[in-house]
Amino acid sequence: MKIPLNWLKEYVKIPSSESDLTHKLSMVGHMLDKKEVVDGQTIIDLELRGNRADCYSILGIAREISALYNTPVKNPKTLPKLNIVSHISDCNLTVKTPLVKRVMMVVVKDVKIMPSPKWLTDRLKAYGVDPINNIVDLTNYVMIETGEPMHAFDLDKIGKNLEIRLAKNNEVITTFQDIKLTLTSDDLVWAGEDGIYSVAGAIGGRYHSIGDGTKNILVEAAGYDRANIRRTVHRHNLLTDAGIRHEKELDPNLVETAFGRFIYLIKENGWGKVEESVFDYYPKVVKPWKIKVSGQKIKNLGGVEIASTQIKKILKALNFQVVSFKKIFLEVLVPTYRTDVVVEEDVIEEILRIYGYDNIPVKTLSLEIPSVVTPKFIDEELSVKNQMVGLGFNEVISSTFVKEKLLNLNLLLDEGIAGKVELSNPPSPDNKTLRMTLLPNLFEFVEKIINERGVSASLFEVGKIYFKDKGKYIEKRKLGIISWNKDGLVFTKFKGLIDAFFLKNNIRELDFSSVALNAEVDQTFSISIDREIVGYGGKINDIYFCEIDLDAILEKVRPASVTLWPKYPPQIEDHNFVFPKKTKIGEVIKTITTEGPIIKRVDLVDVFKDTYTFRFIYQDSEKTLNDEEVGKVRNKILQKVKEKFGGQIKE
Amino acid sequence: MQEEIMSAKNQALAQITSAHDNTELEQIRIDLFGRNGKITDLLKRIKEVPGDQKQQIGILLNDTKKTLESLIAEQKNSFKENVREWFDPTIPGILPNIGNLHPTSVVINEMFEIFKHMGFSIMEGSEMETDIYNFEKLNLPKDHPARSLQDVLYIEEPDVLLRSHTSSVETRVLEKLKPPFRIVVAGKCYRYENVNASNNSMFYQFQGVALQKGLSMADLKGTLFYFAKEFFGHDRKIRFRCKYYPEVEPSAGLDLDCPFCKGKGCTVCKGRGWLEMLGAGMIHPNILKGFGYNTNEISGFAFGMGLDRIVMDRFKIKDIRSLYNGDIKYQ
Repeated sequence: MKIPLNWLKEYVKIPSSESDLTHKLSMVGHMLDKKEVVDGQTIIDLELRGNRADCYSILGIAREISALYNTPVKNPKTLPKLNIVSHISDCNLTVKTPLVKRVMMVVVKDVKIMPSPKWLTDRLKAYGVDPINNIVDLTNYVMIETGEPMHAFDLDKIGKNLEIRLAKNNEVITTFQDIKLTLTSDDLVWAGEDGIYSVAGAIGGRYHSIGDGTKNILVEAAGYDRANIRRTVHRHNLLTDAGIRHEKELDPNLVETAFGRFIYLIKENGWGKVEESVFDYYPKVVKPWKIKVSGQKIKNLGGVEIASTQIKKILKALNFQVVSFKKIFLEVLVPTYRTDVVVEEDVIEEILRIYGYDNIPVKTLSLEIPSVVTPKFIDEELSVKNQMVGLGFNEVISSTFVKEKLLNLNLLLDEGIAGKVELSNPPSPDNKTLRMTLLPNLFEFVEKIINERGVSASLFEVGKIYFKDKGKYIEKRKLGIISWNKDGLVFTKFKGLIDAFFLKNNIRELDFSSVALNAEVDQTFSISIDREIVGYGGKINDIYFCEIDLDAILEKVRPASVTLWPKYPPQIEDHNFVFPKKTKIGEVIKTITTEGPIIKRVDLVDVFKDTYTFRFIYQDSEKTLNDEEVGKVRNKILQKVKEKFGGQIKE
Repeated sequence: MQEEIMSAKNQALAQITSAHDNTELEQIRIDLFGRNGKITDLLKRIKEVPGDQKQQIGILLNDTKKTLESLIAEQKNSFKENVREWFDPTIPGILPNIGNLHPTSVVINEMFEIFKHMGFSIMEGSEMETDIYNFEKLNLPKDHPARSLQDVLYIEEPDVLLRSHTSSVETRVLEKLKPPFRIVVAGKCYRYENVNASNNSMFYQFQGVALQKGLSMADLKGTLFYFAKEFFGHDRKIRFRCKYYPEVEPSAGLDLDCPFCKGKGCTVCKGRGWLEMLGAGMIHPNILKGFGYNTNEISGFAFGMGLDRIVMDRFKIKDIRSLYNGDIKYQ
């Protein structure tokens, strides 16, 4: 809210240093947003606390300064006493809902509508409101000064019977800005025999507001249920000066303050004849409430010992009446405009705020250190990321949403029948559908690199996928790996990287099998460990990818281990085999390595046309193998490969 | 004389074996066998030797001469064999793929490390949340004014949503863990935003919660100051001030001096001289009571901050969208 300092000075003495003022205000919760000088006068724009309805006024800020600098508030001149009645003859009001906390109305006759005098227009302009005419301007003036929005109807246009009620669905009002609003049954309105006159707490209607020809007016100010007004304000985008105040918890007693001030100013300026009787509807009078504060708690929460004399002084400066002050606890009466102070801790914050957050000590957390409760998967997720980085992959983080054009790739890489999750209020079609796999976004990223004339891409993402299964919303953590190379990436290279990732986790027994997945994807495969599928992969265009379920591999990860170089030399020999078409080489290797303990390792070292060169490594950790021992095993292997796969030795 | 020969021999042997190149060897050869060389000189003086020793000294001197000559030749040869191939160390190397962590991960990891020093554990929570855990249990009932700052992305209005802040993990943790505990969380949050260079509908937050008997604003201040100094640098000025968040009471905010103008006021800090870094405070009694705690016996603090701006500052990225749309080019 903008505070012109000249205006503020009328109610409180401000320090000579403007920067000291704005610093102190910032420290107690009203941060300086901007400072500007307009026509030689300084205007400070404060970012106010959302719970301080009382501060949306010059007087509210004056009270804060009064407490901060220990200087009194000079309240503006007002009518000492209002003649309060429950019925006025010019206009009858029926309040039809408990959402209204208080209403005051007064009739002013023979008003002289004219442009406002300079002092008034200057003030409004400095605050940022356009002057209209003296009456409208005065209601705005009083609102800015006291914080209570006011509204004036043309008495001769509204008829004798007014009501405040909830609108009917689809009832319509045209606002004074000539905007047509279609209301709902949750919107509170002022209405009469011929329709709706204003949206309560937010905006006046076009046809019943005052204009140049207005002779008599009905001025009202009210207190409403904050939540209801807030819904209306946001439903119809009515963030008016009235709306932003009424959506906060305004003090119903403020209505009377504003009225006294308004009537005083009308009389003082001679702008009309104010009727003696002031209507007041106030079913539940709000009085200062009592809060008990434990002295120990002030110290415990604040982390600082504040002398009781100082506590008393602070509370008094804030207009909190200390009704009792004992060693164990104190009791205060909260001024009704402080609608934000409800519980003990609120009072403690008030004390600390004025005492100064700067004076709270900086303490090292010295209490007993709680036990570590970090779930294992969090540490492991970090280690997975580091392993991928070690393998030369760059980490990316992509959107939770899948763009519309990529939705054809957004299928769960799993046989499970699960539903996609969509937003019910998507900001755009590209931010609507949650990803069920990391693939679409990773794919898009790689395409981008290709378009940027990159030569290769090796990316990974550790992130969640989202879906709905049996009515439950499920999030799963996945590792997505994607790779592309300008010179053509072969499957064995990509698979080698996956193998390397698992080896880093000490997992050796991987099974790759062909599976049917999304039709958009070629060369689809599954990865399993101990017969449990832990991931899927495939190829789109020239891009290889796979997605691994992090939760599934977590239990499989084994701690790092080492072996020593064997003392006895290995026997190494290469064999060339020719296999029939569609032979699974992985199966051949598996068969070979299960032929006895001395065959330690089999590597595929070369492929030329249909000839596969394997390197056999025989070794015994206890002794040097002789030709006879090796020969026995070799024969068994060659026999088995021939029987099982039809593999012929080629010399 | 025998001694003289032996001493000349040993000295020469040492010189020859430690010679570095042919020039040096040639000099040694001249010093030994040249016109005034040591060995030449000794050979000249052999006539001075008494007759009965002449033969013996003669043999010794000849042997010494032969030994030294062949050693010099050998050494010369070895220099020839050792001529190294010319090589160019300035030729570019062939790089393997070099992997890097995402900037956001880098920042999160650093923050985690700092908080681990202070006894914090790391937590995580669901992004698809309910209104109850994202708002209600955080002292943010329906129609609370503070809710208007957080326009929510709904999956099923009004109950199932994408969490609008990591405070949702706070409610989950308060429900699940037994005090004392200290935890930090980093993760994705979502809001309905008009997407531009500084706002995205998906963003990262970093959150901390501690619940322990005796925790006070002084502990909170100490924790945040330690973090801010470790993370942002010991030379930065810190401002700890009153602020409003419905989830905490008393509430606080932490600002850092603007690094661009050093607190004088510039366009980056909108003339304030300060940049708002995080929000914090003592967990609101309504929240603690909601989880069955007696607020006279236990207290806690919580803090939260947006991560993306910190990441963007660190990595000199101007548009929040480039963090998560594949625009980042590593090295």
